[in-house]
Amino acid sequence: MKEVASFLKPYRLAVVIALALMLTELTVELVQPLFMAKIVDDGILKRDLSAVVHWGLVMVGVSALAFAAGIINSFFAAHVSQSFGFDIRKVLFGKIQSFSFANYNQFSNSSFITRMTNDVSQVQNTIFMGLRIMLRAPLLVIGGAVMALAVNFTLSFILIVILPCLIFFLLWVMKRAGSMFRIVQEKLDTVNKVIQENLTNMRLIKAFLRNDYEVNRFQKANKDLKDQTIFVLRFMEIMQPVLLFVMNVSILIILWAAHAGPSEAKVGEVVAIVNYSTRIISVLSMLSFIVSGFSRAKASSLRISEVLQTEVKLTDELAESSHQITEGKIEFRSVSFAYPDSAVKVLDDVSFTVNAGETMAVMGATGSGKSTLFNLIPRLYDLEKGAVYIDGFDIRMIKLEHLRRSIGMVPQESLLFTGTVKDNILWGKEDATMEEIIAAAKDAQIHDTILKLPHGYDTLISQKGVNLSGGQKQRISIARALVRKPKILLLDDSTSALDLKTERKLLQALMKYPCTTLIITQKIATAMAADQILLLENGKVLAKGRHDELIRSVPLYQKIYESQYGKDGIRHAQKSY
Amino acid sequence: MLKSLIEPFRYEKLKLTNESKVKKSSSKVKDWKGTLKRIWGYMSDQKVLFFFVLLMVFISTVLTILGPFLVGKGIDIYIVEKSGNHFFFFFVVLVLIYALHSLSIWLQNIWMIKVAQNTVYKIRSDLFRQFHLLPISFFDQKKTGELMSRMTNDVENVSSTLNSSVIQISSSVLTLIGVVSVMLWMSPFLTIITLIVVPLLVVGMKWITRRTGQLFKEQQRSLGELNGYIEETITGQRIVKTFSQENRVMHEFLEKNERLRRSSFWAQTISGFIPKLMHVLNNLSFTLIAGFGGIFALKGWITIGTIVVFAEYARQFTRPLNDLANQFNTLLSAVAGAERVFDLLDEQAEEADFGEYVQSANIKGDIVFDRVSFSYGEESQTIKNISFHVSPGETVALVGATGAGKTTIINLLARFYEVKEGRILIDGKDISKLRRSELRQAMGFVLQDPFLFHTTIRENIRYGRLDATDEEVEEAAKLANAHSFIKNLPDQYDTIINEGGTSISQGQKQLLSIARAILKNPSILLLDEATSSIDTVTELKIQEALERLMKGRTSFVIAHRLNTIKKADQIFVIQDGRIVEKGSHDKLLEKEGFYFDLVTNQLKPQLKTKDMLSEIKDHI
Repeated sequence: MKEVASFLKPYRLAVVIALALMLTELTVELVQPLFMAKIVDDGILKRDLSAVVHWGLVMVGVSALAFAAGIINSFFAAHVSQSFGFDIRKVLFGKIQSFSFANYNQFSNSSFITRMTNDVSQVQNTIFMGLRIMLRAPLLVIGGAVMALAVNFTLSFILIVILPCLIFFLLWVMKRAGSMFRIVQEKLDTVNKVIQENLTNMRLIKAFLRNDYEVNRFQKANKDLKDQTIFVLRFMEIMQPVLLFVMNVSILIILWAAHAGPSEAKVGEVVAIVNYSTRIISVLSMLSFIVSGFSRAKASSLRISEVLQTEVKLTDELAESSHQITEGKIEFRSVSFAYPDSAVKVLDDVSFTVNAGETMAVMGATGSGKSTLFNLIPRLYDLEKGAVYIDGFDIRMIKLEHLRRSIGMVPQESLLFTGTVKDNILWGKEDATMEEIIAAAKDAQIHDTILKLPHGYDTLISQKGVNLSGGQKQRISIARALVRKPKILLLDDSTSALDLKTERKLLQALMKYPCTTLIITQKIATAMAADQILLLENGKVLAKGRHDELIRSVPLYQKIYESQYGKDGIRHAQKSY
Repeated sequence: MLKSLIEPFRYEKLKLTNESKVKKSSSKVKDWKGTLKRIWGYMSDQKVLFFFVLLMVFISTVLTILGPFLVGKGIDIYIVEKSGNHFFFFFVVLVLIYALHSLSIWLQNIWMIKVAQNTVYKIRSDLFRQFHLLPISFFDQKKTGELMSRMTNDVENVSSTLNSSVIQISSSVLTLIGVVSVMLWMSPFLTIITLIVVPLLVVGMKWITRRTGQLFKEQQRSLGELNGYIEETITGQRIVKTFSQENRVMHEFLEKNERLRRSSFWAQTISGFIPKLMHVLNNLSFTLIAGFGGIFALKGWITIGTIVVFAEYARQFTRPLNDLANQFNTLLSAVAGAERVFDLLDEQAEEADFGEYVQSANIKGDIVFDRVSFSYGEESQTIKNISFHVSPGETVALVGATGAGKTTIINLLARFYEVKEGRILIDGKDISKLRRSELRQAMGFVLQDPFLFHTTIRENIRYGRLDATDEEVEEAAKLANAHSFIKNLPDQYDTIINEGGTSISQGQKQLLSIARAILKNPSILLLDEATSSIDTVTELKIQEALERLMKGRTSFVIAHRLNTIKKADQIFVIQDGRIVEKGSHDKLLEKEGFYFDLVTNQLKPQLKTKDMLSEIKDHI
């Protein structure tokens, strides 16, 4: 809450100005009855037309002043609230960017999105409202009470008793409603999640004819949201009637006191006090509206703070910028790893060394830990045991930015972003020239395909990249990695959707890149070309060595070979070495 | 210091983007009436409740006026005259009136909440249903996060407006009507003078709404775009991180964030003029009353008392107008939100599923492509004049370079896209005339990206057939060779698949999606790179299962691995959207054409030349 409020700091002056302008408006509003009274008393009652014109002009003049103040207030209030929202979104987004992968698991993607848009909007709207009307309600209440007390303390004593009670009541409502609104926002997360899943998996849903099932699932989330919203709003709604009733009865009590009490209470005083109390009543509903806005904003700012306060453990505090990657030698020393919140060891005591410029193929059954091993090299996760060294430095000692800049990663799922083909390749290197882009695209065997697209390199790719086939997407993501001329290239089974001919050409083109290459593959043919092969089984290194070594002595490798070339193939292979 | 003083005035005027400009010319600026009417349509089945809300508004408005009136009388009688009669009675009556007043306010509020929430609930449901009715091609171009924004941010706007505005507006209108009628009754002359400001008001409002209408829409659009960007970058976080592109992403994000700030700034600022304008006009009208009233009184047309009372009423005239003006803001942004929602609802949905009903169980799987051509957009054709015939129970392997059009063939067969040229027949019937649901019911899919839902493994497999028992789910998992790895997970079948998908590997996801297809037990099987991320040893095991599965079913298999391909009854070699070779493995090898090339490429490590052909044939 406080943390979120601190975002207002840079706009202190603007806030003060907005509030001052609001006060100007308020003052005008308060003195206007005086001018009206003047018009009536001095002008109309005395049949003095010039007084009417005089005071009328004064009134129009003053209200023009209020108008000007109001318009300027609009600018300031909008500026403060919008810039506040802008800043929060910026910091939130930056924070999320700095998250480690372990952090991501704490929130769902859709929850991030709700927090960054819906929650920020809630707070922002409250601030905007606050700068325009917030002070008015409490000021009118307090002002009214003070005036009433000044008129006749004894008679309006009841207000001293009642008003604090009402304020406590409002605070209580605000507190309770805050936690209820929190649940509403959580339900909104769920609704968002179902929508997001559906939108991304639409093809699957249609293929499996699960529309009704999904609609039902959504209805449930939707209904939850509706019920919770109704529940909390209903709770909020006790506020206004209670406030009104209590205040109205207080007026009656004042009357009763004036009626039954000692007769020194003057009629005029009673009228005045009743008048002030009625004014207080008329702003009470505004007050309950404000309280409701605040409760909601409070819930939302808590959710925002939650993201802001998440501790990012993966930092490069220990790193030194003198630790540079120049060669690309990779070394794993007894690395063990389990994903956060999971007890299963995905990697167990893995050690190997790949010399600079060498190629290592990583093989193993699905789920044996190949992709995890890749994730550890750009330090997407930190290790519990063991360490990864690049060029002799523990990667925790290398600046994250530098580490990752030296690595070109091609993940299994080729994720592209909305933008042109060129933009997507530029992800690898922002300042790449067109020649560099084309060279990378050629090596990734995608240049010719790109040229055939309607606008060549400027063809737009949508988020899902549907205008491209799986293999084309893979090759663009390879080009993206190649364009940065990395010291270390990580190919995570990224040629699976390529046909054999293209794959072969691609691998040949890769040879000329002076980088250390790690390639996850299922294909023996690819593995054979590597300087060494790492065979994983259930997170453990089962074997490492060259093809000819493994084919002779490692049963699992033989089995893989056999699965691809048949029984005769393996005899042939063993013979030939 | 100075900077913060001028900052608020330095926002650049918004150049509206092409999209909103197009919208402007095509569908006028805004269809206020239409949009409100549609929202009203959503409330229609709650008319009774809504009527009661209005009734309560009426009662509370009357009581709001009656209460102070009685208090005034009470002061006259009990305080001024100090007559002690029936004070207790008076007290009780007023307490009752106030109780009734509070009660009616409470009721109108909670009923309105119900009406509003039910309405929004229905809009959300409709929107969600619409998502499922839209053709796949619609989603190809839209960002997930952008669509999500309509569902939440835009609908949210409608919701909050319905909650607060309706009651406010109706009570304001009621008060206004009451005040104006009293004024008319007292002096038509002065009333007309009071209302002189109304045309000014209309002009001012027009000036404002002409701008804010678009601005609010622009605001919602920017918000949607921002939402889309956030969604995309969070989903693609792995790439952002490994390519250390945080700065670039931040930069692009800031641009969108700035655009949102600007459009909201202008929307808020300009719409914030409304109450101020109202205020000035009210004061003007009061002055006019006083001035003209004075003149009339001097001429003796009206009494002074009338002017005094009238002036008081003119003040009362202010409050509801002010409230109305304030509500107008929220209403504006709600209409902008609602319009965006309705735009989506008006998108052309997939044709209604009214085709000929053929029970899925009776579909045998005789498939004919008859001169089919297809392109996704205006781009060059992805598939060109393809014809083939597949008999029931046959297995067809589609091979060819990436981007040749293999996946498209499967997409068309499943009617994810409608064929534009040529036709596709299943059991002799044109699929465009069959019922889509039954058609897809007959098909089992393993798609290129093994999508899984954020729920347990068991539920993900059960997606294939919702009424499957736990035993059947496990049976399918066993056939897909997924059982053993599932058993090794801490929660086994109840392991929840998380979004990052870190808990299981890509290959394991593929196994699950195969299990899902197995469970469905379809007569046509479509496997698009079903085993690409699976190691070959495991694949061998699944192969058995798949073979068992494919027996008696028509199957289309896209694969790059020879193992999978060579057992097919027919192999189609596809190049640039055309079938360039067709036939069985042996026949195609003999032909020494494209297929031969592919095969020798795969086996190249040991078989370097054509001389080895005989050897290939021996062991394959």
